[in-house]
Amino acid sequence: MDRREAKDRALARYRQERDWFAFLLEAAGMMNTPEGQLQVKLLNILLDSKQKVVECVENDKPFIAAYFCTAPELFTAMDLPWFMIMETPFLGATAPYIMEDLQGAEEMGLGTDLCTAIRLPIYYIESGQMPVPSAVIGLLSPCDGTTMLQQILRHNKAWHNVPLFCPDPPYTSDERAIKYFAKELRQMVKFIEQHTGRKLDIDRLREVCEESNRSYALWQEYNELRRAVPCPHGWEIGGAQAFAVSQCFRAGDPRCTDWFRQLLECGEAKVKAGRGANDYVPEKIRLLWFDIMPYGWIFEFMPWLEQEWGAILVMDMFSNFPYTLIDTSSEETMFHDLAKRNLMDVPMIRQARGTAENFSSDIVRIVKDYKIDAVIWPGHMGHKDGAATAGIMRETCRGIGVPFLHIGLDLFDKRYTSVDEVKDKVSQFFTGMGLG
Amino acid sequence: METTIKSRAFEELAAAAEGIMNPAVQEWREGGGKVVGYFCSHVPTEVLMAAGILPFRMRGTGSTGTELSDAFFSSINCSFPRHTFNQALRGEYDFLDGLLCVSSCDHIRRVYDNWKQNLDTPFIKIMSLPKKVGDPQAEWYREEITLLKGELEKQFNLQISDDQLRDAIKLRNETRRLQRELYDLRKAQNPAITGAETLAVMVAGSAMPAERYNALLKTLLHDLNGVNGTRDFRARLMIVGSELDDPEYIEVIEEQGGLVVTDSICYGTRTMWVDVDEQAADPVEALARYYIQERPSCPRMNDDQPRRAQFLRDLIQEFQVDGVIGERMLFCDFWCAEHYMNKMDFKEAGVPFIQLDREYITSGKGQLRTRIQAFLETMGK
Repeated sequence: MDRREAKDRALARYRQERDWFAFLLEAAGMMNTPEGQLQVKLLNILLDSKQKVVECVENDKPFIAAYFCTAPELFTAMDLPWFMIMETPFLGATAPYIMEDLQGAEEMGLGTDLCTAIRLPIYYIESGQMPVPSAVIGLLSPCDGTTMLQQILRHNKAWHNVPLFCPDPPYTSDERAIKYFAKELRQMVKFIEQHTGRKLDIDRLREVCEESNRSYALWQEYNELRRAVPCPHGWEIGGAQAFAVSQCFRAGDPRCTDWFRQLLECGEAKVKAGRGANDYVPEKIRLLWFDIMPYGWIFEFMPWLEQEWGAILVMDMFSNFPYTLIDTSSEETMFHDLAKRNLMDVPMIRQARGTAENFSSDIVRIVKDYKIDAVIWPGHMGHKDGAATAGIMRETCRGIGVPFLHIGLDLFDKRYTSVDEVKDKVSQFFTGMGLG
Repeated sequence: METTIKSRAFEELAAAAEGIMNPAVQEWREGGGKVVGYFCSHVPTEVLMAAGILPFRMRGTGSTGTELSDAFFSSINCSFPRHTFNQALRGEYDFLDGLLCVSSCDHIRRVYDNWKQNLDTPFIKIMSLPKKVGDPQAEWYREEITLLKGELEKQFNLQISDDQLRDAIKLRNETRRLQRELYDLRKAQNPAITGAETLAVMVAGSAMPAERYNALLKTLLHDLNGVNGTRDFRARLMIVGSELDDPEYIEVIEEQGGLVVTDSICYGTRTMWVDVDEQAADPVEALARYYIQERPSCPRMNDDQPRRAQFLRDLIQEFQVDGVIGERMLFCDFWCAEHYMNKMDFKEAGVPFIQLDREYITSGKGQLRTRIQAFLETMGK
C-alpha cells in the first residue's frame, strides 16, 4: 500500500464519521426548537474540528491524537488540531458501521472482556483505519485498558515511530500529586513543541484559559437549573454535550462559550415556564445515571425511560460539575489548575483513577443537590474498578436512603446485554422500589 | 503436590505454599513479631523487613468460593482479589497487623477500599505506584517509600534507620541470589527441579521470615546438587503472565509432558532477576530505582514493553525454551493486551505460543490438559 492509499484508508472511517455527524446535523436542523438549535451549533463545532484534522492529514500539516483529560486548553493555545483516540465509542457509537468494526476487533483476537471503548480504537489502529498523527498524547488513567491502548499503539508498526508522551497520573489526590502532574504537563508541552514545531505562548494560554473559565462558569450556572423540579432538560441536551463542548473539541474557544450561553438561556426559559424535560411526559422519577450514557444504543433506551416510566435523567457522571476555575494570574497557577482539573475533576478520571472515595462522595452530593429518586450504576463491562466498587456504592445509597441498581451491560455493544434485558431489569427495579 | 525431590527443606517450603498460615509465621507471631500483608511484587518489602515486620504476600490459597466477597465485587472482576478478599472476610487473615497495597491494577486497588471499609486491620495503606519508568517516576516512588517509612514508624512505634534498610536489602538480595541459583538448575538438559516444585519454593519465599527461607533454600540447593532430574518430558516451556501461586496449575501442564523451565510471572523471575543496589548512598533511592526502573517490569508499566519483550527473548535463549504459555486471569486487561502483543512478536520470531485464560483457582483441569496436549502436538513434540 503506498502512502496515498494508506492515508485514504486511515481517513475512510474518519470521513464516514464526519458524514454521519453531517447527517445528524441535517436532522437537528429540522427541529425548530431551542434545543434543536443547540444541537446544530454543537454539531457544527464538532464537524469543524473533524474537518481540520482531515485537512491536516491531506496536506501533511501537524496535528495530534490525544484524550479529553489531557488539558486540551493547551492544544487550543498552541493552535493545534487534535482528535480524541477514543472518539468513535464516545461520540460516534451510533454510527451504522459500529457493529461491523466490533466484529473486526473480535476477529483480531482481542479478548472480548477488554473494554469496548478500548477495543474499538485498537482495531482502528491495527487495521490502519485511524489517521496517523504527528505526535500522540497518551492517557494512563483511569483504567488498566487505557494504559494498554497506548502500548499497543506504540507496538503497531505504522505508529511505532510516532512520538508518544503520556503524562503520568499519581494515584493520590493532594497538593503533591497536583504539583507532580503539573510538571508532567510541562513536559508534555515541551514534547509537543519539539514534535510539531508549535510554540506555547503564555499570554495566549491565559486568553484560552479565561475563555474556558467563562464556559465552565456558564456550565456551573446551567447545572444549578437542573436542580429545578421538574428538571428542564433530560438525557437529550445539556449534560453530556456540555462535557463534549468543554473538553473534546476546542476547549477555550469563544464558540463553545456561546453554546453554553445559549444552553443557559434555554434552560432558564424552561424553568421560568415550569416546563420539564419532556412536554408530553410528566417527570416522575429523577434519575442519576452514574456513568457514561449508553451511546451504542442510546436512542433505543433513553427515550423509553422517559416515555415508559417518566424517568428523567437529571444527572450523569459526565454532566456533573466538580470543577474549579483556572487561576490565570501566572504561568504557574495555570499549570497548577490545569493539572488539578485534569487529574481530579474530569469525569471518570475523577472517580476511577484513585481510591473509591469520589464514587461515594459524588453520589451523596448529587443525590442531595438534585433531589435524586434513584441511582443506576450501569456496570459497563470495561469499568472493572467500578465493578469492584459496586458494594461501596450500594452501601452509600443505602446510607442516604436512595434506591440503587447495578445492571451489568456494555455501553457501546448491545449484544452483551440486550436492550430488552436492560429495560426489564430497570422496570423490575422501579416496580420493586415503588417508583414511577 | 507429587514430588521426587528428597529433601526436608523442600517439604517445609512446599508446605508453606500449600496454605495461608504456616509454622514459620505461627512461630513469628508467637514470638511477638508483627506481620503485614501485601499485594503485588512492586511493594518494597525491604522497608517492612527493616522495621522488623514480616511481609506476607496475600493469596487466596485454600479458597473454595467467593460467597462473602461477591457482595463487594462483581462478576467482571478478577477471581484473585475475589477469593483473597473472601478469605479475609472469613477471618483467614485475622493474624495481620497491617495491609500494604500499591495502585497495581483495577481489581486489586479496590481490595484496599473494600478492606478499609469492612475489616479492622490496624494499619492499612495504599502506595501510589507510577505508571512510567523514568527518573521523575523513580523520584516520586522515593517519596512514597519515605512516606511509608514514616507511617510504619508512627504506627508501630519504631525507627527505621538507613543501616537497617541496607541490612534488609542485603538479606532480600541474598534471597534473590539463591532463587537465581535455583533457576540455574533448570537450564540443565534434565533439570533437578520441575516448574511446579519451583513455584512452590518461590511462593514460600513470600510467606516466612527471610532468614529462615534463605537457610532452607541453601539446604535445598545442596540437596539438589548433582541430582539427575526428570527426563520424561516432550518440550521445554516458559510460562508468562501475572499472579500464579498455585503449583498445581503447572503440575497439570507438566503431567502432559510440558516441562516448565522458566517464567516471567509475579512470583518468578520478575521478582528476583536483578538485585537492589547495595552500594547506593541512599537506600531509599536504591529501592525506588529498583522497583520502578531496574527490575523486569510487568505490563502495568507503560513505556517498557520493548524491554519486557527483550527479557522474554533472553529467557527463551538462556533456558532453551521450545514454546511459551501466556497465562492470564479472566478480566485482566493488562495481560489481555500484553499477550496480544506477545502473540504477534512470537509469531514473527517463530516461537510457538499459546494463551490460556484461567480462573484464580485451578479448575477446568480437563480443558487445560487438552489445550496443552494440542499445543505440544502443534509444536511437533
